[in-house]
Amino acid sequence: MTRTFYDEMYLANGECRPHYREFARWLADTPDELLAQRRREADLLFHRAGITFTLYGDDQGTERLIPFDIIPRSIPASEWRVVERGCIQRVQALNMFLADLYHDQRIIKAGIIPAEQVLANEGYQLAMQGLNLHRDLYAHISGVDLVRDGDGSYYVLEDNLRTPSGVSYMLEDRKMMMRLFPELFAAQRVLPIDHYPSLLLDTLKSSSPLDNPTVVVLTPGRYNSAYFEHAFLAREMGVELVEGADLFVRDDKVFMRTTAGAKPVDVIYRRLDDAFLDPLAFNPDSMLGVPGLLSTYRSGNVVLANAIGTGVADDKSIYPYVGEMIRFYLDEEPILKNVPTFQCRKAVELQHVLANLEHLVVKETQGSGGYGMLVGPAASKAEIENFRARLIARPEAYIAQPTLCLSTCPTFVENGIAPRHIDLRPFVLSGKDTRVVPGGLTRVALREGSLVVNSSQGGGTKDTWVVED
Amino acid sequence: MRLSISHDTTYHYEDQVRNSIQYLRMTPHDSERQQVISWELNLPRPVRAQVDPYGNILHVLTMDEPHESIILGARGQVEIDEQRECEHEDQSPLPFLRTTRLTEADQALREFAQTECASRRDRSCMIDLMNRLNAHIRYQPDVTDVKTSAAEAFASGKGVCQDQTHAFIACARSLGVPARYVSGYLYTDSSDHLASHAWAEAWLDGAWYSFDVTNCLTRAERHLKLAVGLDYLDACPVRGMRRGGGVEQMHAHVEVSPTRVQVQQQ
Repeated sequence: MTRTFYDEMYLANGECRPHYREFARWLADTPDELLAQRRREADLLFHRAGITFTLYGDDQGTERLIPFDIIPRSIPASEWRVVERGCIQRVQALNMFLADLYHDQRIIKAGIIPAEQVLANEGYQLAMQGLNLHRDLYAHISGVDLVRDGDGSYYVLEDNLRTPSGVSYMLEDRKMMMRLFPELFAAQRVLPIDHYPSLLLDTLKSSSPLDNPTVVVLTPGRYNSAYFEHAFLAREMGVELVEGADLFVRDDKVFMRTTAGAKPVDVIYRRLDDAFLDPLAFNPDSMLGVPGLLSTYRSGNVVLANAIGTGVADDKSIYPYVGEMIRFYLDEEPILKNVPTFQCRKAVELQHVLANLEHLVVKETQGSGGYGMLVGPAASKAEIENFRARLIARPEAYIAQPTLCLSTCPTFVENGIAPRHIDLRPFVLSGKDTRVVPGGLTRVALREGSLVVNSSQGGGTKDTWVVED
Repeated sequence: MRLSISHDTTYHYEDQVRNSIQYLRMTPHDSERQQVISWELNLPRPVRAQVDPYGNILHVLTMDEPHESIILGARGQVEIDEQRECEHEDQSPLPFLRTTRLTEADQALREFAQTECASRRDRSCMIDLMNRLNAHIRYQPDVTDVKTSAAEAFASGKGVCQDQTHAFIACARSLGVPARYVSGYLYTDSSDHLASHAWAEAWLDGAWYSFDVTNCLTRAERHLKLAVGLDYLDACPVRGMRRGGGVEQMHAHVEVSPTRVQVQQQ
């Protein structure tokens, strides 16, 4: 099967796109030796900084360096502004959906989303029903995963409204590029992103009605795959990094244990899933949470960012309705496209999916991290049959989408430079305003032809530039 | 029928507990079938009442001074409408279709429910299911514990009210019938049954109907409802954690008795 991929750097006739010309000239002028040396330097620096990623499904609990590629992914500013507006629109609608769902449920009454699909959804949290949140915000920090199809148009692959990760790589990749190749940043204007930590802190503070709330980052601990990021963000924001055992509840308030005694905590940027937050309310075996946290939260005495119960809005079975949400709550047309999605819970769509498995991507509605998904065109017969059985057994747990082409970007590989598929995760911060730092995290699938960019599946990262055109 | 309840629970610890926290669901609230005449909790410290996600009255008791025991007392009187068949509620029942670890139906439970009910989804099929489960999971204390799942109890064929209730809920949900766990008190004439009890409710024809699997009862006529939830963990009267303390010894004393109501002649 021939497919046409959209390449970020080159036009189909091999000519360099205008916003990459400066970089292409630099690349041609820089001796291979020097590039190789700089790449080795980057590896060493990342390793020293401890920027690693723990791999799941690996008994050794291997900490692995996420490969960093020195060829940036570059986006013209005019194009970025559209993507930015699209992400903001989408996250605003999703936050309005959550506020509606946990209050009046107008969207259900209007017949736009079936009640059972949201209320019986595992991500729906009864604990949030009727609870009023400051500014009606649920997802304070969101990640919107974008890809580009063959004609270059952007599609939203999925929304991440629980604990989206990767922003530390976005920041570190930029620092690395500026350190290794300062001349590139002198030659053209790349929009800065280093204010992200202060925007994040500002967002977290504005999630509380208090004037100057105490903010902490709650991590599951050093064995979590994103522990580096938790520590990184706490340090960059200048707030405490805590584990569940560092916090406790007394008389409906949350405190942190410090050497100077108990200190009240007002906002918890939690990088812990709902199920582990409070062993007295959720998973009783969780050693990671804070006993009593849920009742304190429901009393309005502490803010959790993101709120509990956001998972119902980024569930892949709810994804097909996001366009409708934008029309319903904002009375606008969606700026970013959704990938056409087959809901296997519907018998007719399931039939179509089963008949076309070799062309489709099948995903678990509750899955994340690229585990438990089938990329039909790249799968073996056995893998396809395995998924067929899983689909028949639990159709409601899966959706399917056509395989998108995914744009490519030139990338350093063993034999020089070759195109590899990429995606983009801009990070959207919702506080007093909804804001996005220019760009986001670009992930690259390093294996030739692979469309899976997740770092847990052998993906790497690139610095992401938004350049004034 | 008016029931008088007196429930005292004492926890003794081998060592000093440094601090502890308990979620207490020991206070009933008014509903169509029960009216709380009086209720009083005796806790080691004063605690503000809140409402939990399921509408239950919740007290969160935090103790951060070292202690060697905790005494929890509850007493009061509640009027039960013995004739009431079901209870209505404004909240959607759909969240009670969701499974939990304790109420997940495995292949065996799903087939059991399917065989019993086929395409029926009415009250009579739920009653059949209740009776069959009562026969399949025989009441036997001390073979299961609070972590035993519906599937495990069903496979072993033994358990207590909690296990029988979980199995019923698992079956009902697997058939697409919303079902929930109820914890409370039961008045019985015999003294060999525990007065603390659990039963199930299933949503049929727009209302919650009771199913006491342990006693094969379809009307909660001698039952005082304390709390509801997806499973035992959501509804149980006491769920707590502590630091330190070593081995715990728990003594519970529950008395449930009918009160003679003096009809005042004017």
